Amino acid sequence: MKIKELIKQDAGFQYVVDSLELMSAAGRRALLETTFSGDAEWLEAEWRRLGTAIEAVHEYKYKKPYIELRHCLMQLHDLRGTLSSLACRTPLNEVELFELKNLAQLRRTAAEAIAGLGMATMLPLPDTDEAFALLDPDGTGIANFYIYDSYDPRLAPLRRELKALQEHDGDAGRIAQLLAEQSEIQAAVCLRLTDALHAHHDALGKTLEQMAYADILFAKAELAIAWNLTKPTIGSRIEYRALVNPRLKHRNEATHLRYQPVDIALGAGVTLVTGANMAGKTVLLKSIGTAQTMVQCGFFAPAESTETVLFDGVATSIGDDQDEMNGLSSYAAEIIKISDIVRRCRTERLLVLIDEPARTTNPVEGKAIVQALTGIMEQAPSTTLITTHYGNLGGKCRRLRVKGFVEGMADVPLTPRNINLFIDYSLTEDASGEVPHEALRIADILGCDSELIETARKHINN
Amino acid sequence: MPFVDEILKHRSLSIVGLEKNTGKTVCLNYILRRLNEKQVAVGVTSIGVDGEQVDSVFTTAKPEVTLYEGSRFITSEQHYLKRQTVSVLEHVDSRRTALGPLVTARVLVRGKVLLSGAATTGVLRSHISQLLDAGCRLAIVDGALSRLSLASPTVTDCMVLATGAAVSANLKQLVAKTRFVHSLISLDEVSPTLRAALSPVGSGLWGVDKEGEPHDLGIASVFLIGNSGADLLRFGHTLFASGAVSDRLLKTLTPLGKDITLVARDFTKLFITPEAYNEFTRKGNRLLVLQRSRLVAVTLNPTSPQGFLLDSRAACDALSEALQTPVYDVMKI
Repeated sequence: MKIKELIKQDAGFQYVVDSLELMSAAGRRALLETTFSGDAEWLEAEWRRLGTAIEAVHEYKYKKPYIELRHCLMQLHDLRGTLSSLACRTPLNEVELFELKNLAQLRRTAAEAIAGLGMATMLPLPDTDEAFALLDPDGTGIANFYIYDSYDPRLAPLRRELKALQEHDGDAGRIAQLLAEQSEIQAAVCLRLTDALHAHHDALGKTLEQMAYADILFAKAELAIAWNLTKPTIGSRIEYRALVNPRLKHRNEATHLRYQPVDIALGAGVTLVTGANMAGKTVLLKSIGTAQTMVQCGFFAPAESTETVLFDGVATSIGDDQDEMNGLSSYAAEIIKISDIVRRCRTERLLVLIDEPARTTNPVEGKAIVQALTGIMEQAPSTTLITTHYGNLGGKCRRLRVKGFVEGMADVPLTPRNINLFIDYSLTEDASGEVPHEALRIADILGCDSELIETARKHINN
Repeated sequence: MPFVDEILKHRSLSIVGLEKNTGKTVCLNYILRRLNEKQVAVGVTSIGVDGEQVDSVFTTAKPEVTLYEGSRFITSEQHYLKRQTVSVLEHVDSRRTALGPLVTARVLVRGKVLLSGAATTGVLRSHISQLLDAGCRLAIVDGALSRLSLASPTVTDCMVLATGAAVSANLKQLVAKTRFVHSLISLDEVSPTLRAALSPVGSGLWGVDKEGEPHDLGIASVFLIGNSGADLLRFGHTLFASGAVSDRLLKTLTPLGKDITLVARDFTKLFITPEAYNEFTRKGNRLLVLQRSRLVAVTLNPTSPQGFLLDSRAACDALSEALQTPVYDVMKI
């Protein structure tokens, strides 16, 4: 799946992509075309390149080669249209020829800058000097362009005559004739140049691609530095130390709310996560999903350290993102999604993240659905994380509990607005199979109607 | 013709027409010819991409602009490829228009070009600086159909106003309509101190107290003013409209009393009719601007696309008298 599709499915990942400061439209287009990769070799190489780019940014951030490279990338136009015309020898016009000359010149400056950063071997740019020479017949070395006199011996005398006539308001008929002749010669030159440049199509195309890639690589490096992202290692299980969800972390920081990174380790099979309401279970799933997508799209990870496993994809059913399912009840939308995941898991190795499955139906059938789901996913080669409020589900799967509400955790009076200061978002292993019963207590803290809460308590006691 | 010397006191010029077919392009060609005689390197662009060789409303021929050796121009790729001149491409913009990217070129042999340009004043401003940075002594913006925004003093330093029979074939009406726009262009400026205080203010309507401090009146847009019911004069009788000024605003203020001073950013923000404006000022109120546009000339096109022809001499005299400024017939200059 490509990044352009992934950002539609994961708002947290979209935030990551939107935070990249790309210099060029070509870079942005190439980024969106990047695919979620399960190729360990490619990812390792990409992370290595990213590591080198980060070192280069650290060393050269305000120095010449880096500033020059960014400046080049800023001027990079997305010439795919022109290049595909060139590929099938459709005659290029003067503006398109100018653009190719400009690309060839930018390549020169960019190649020097990249060499200055010590990354010439990592980011090789093909030689386009011959293409530049074709478009610079007078050897000016400047990226300006027109159909130079030297392209055709008829042009110089024609233009001399035109100039003389224009300056002395000469015969309009003759001027029109000269202009027509000129445009005919120019068209023939454009055709000839297109043919000659066709041989350099690959070099020019590769140059555009590589410069777009350099744009992506350095934008990722800048992001990794700004967000303290770290290089993942591929191992036998997922293990994050101090995993964060960048979108939520930044939103909390902006509103002066506390944000707590979490540690989590996940092996193959199913892990059930329980915890009180407001304990951050949904955020946990989203964080893990975004982090996995980042890692497999060649980003560094939003954690202090990351061990990861590679999957064929990330499949989620997290309640609040189903615009595309509009028109279906929440239960229908959810069950269709879950059934799709179950089917996919028969052929693919997925990271499955399911938030409170079957919570919108009756608890008897709901619990049965969760038990069935857990049983099936336990047999699949995928890694599955399911949050739930259902207790005593049986089965052998691993259970984690978010520690949740801790009275006296903060040194201030508890109010509905600062409740987040009293929640410990960290996870603990839980063998009991029980789920916390804190819904009424939290409702009470949130200032819910006392009659409602008291009556509910009576029902429990009865 | 004196106004070309006047233009040269500035770095950028806009040519705006009160209507289509008021002779903007003829006027531009005249200015370009005179500047060439003075060997002044100019840069020329337009706003928007409405330039076709044939005027699509009246199917009259749209005159092309004649550019001289050494001048620069910005136009769209499609118009560039149709140029009747020899020129060197110097820059291609990454932004695209319906007619391809905008390109900058330097003229090698005098000839005709079709102009198009940026659609927004923000980009237009960057094009003006680009032309000046490239070495042009003066940047000229050819106006487009009913676009006054380019004449804002925040975009171009000075302006030429083109009027003519296309506005009205009735001389009295032509004079009245032109005089009204002229009076808005010539509105007095506020004091430099007040300008400094008001320039950075955000959108909406502001009350200005005796010390010249602006206070937000809590009206985000003057178009919402009818519903507010708040005392608009609670900070004093000076008000500042940061965005557009409409008839509705004037009509709300007129009955509140006299001695109201309403300040607009510049005349391009005024979307008002002579009736509402006259009623407003007749009650003893004033309309001022933060910054006045420098009007260097008014030109007249005595022919209209429907074929009316005004008596050029009589029309120029009547307009000169009414505007107290020289008016030139574009067909004769």
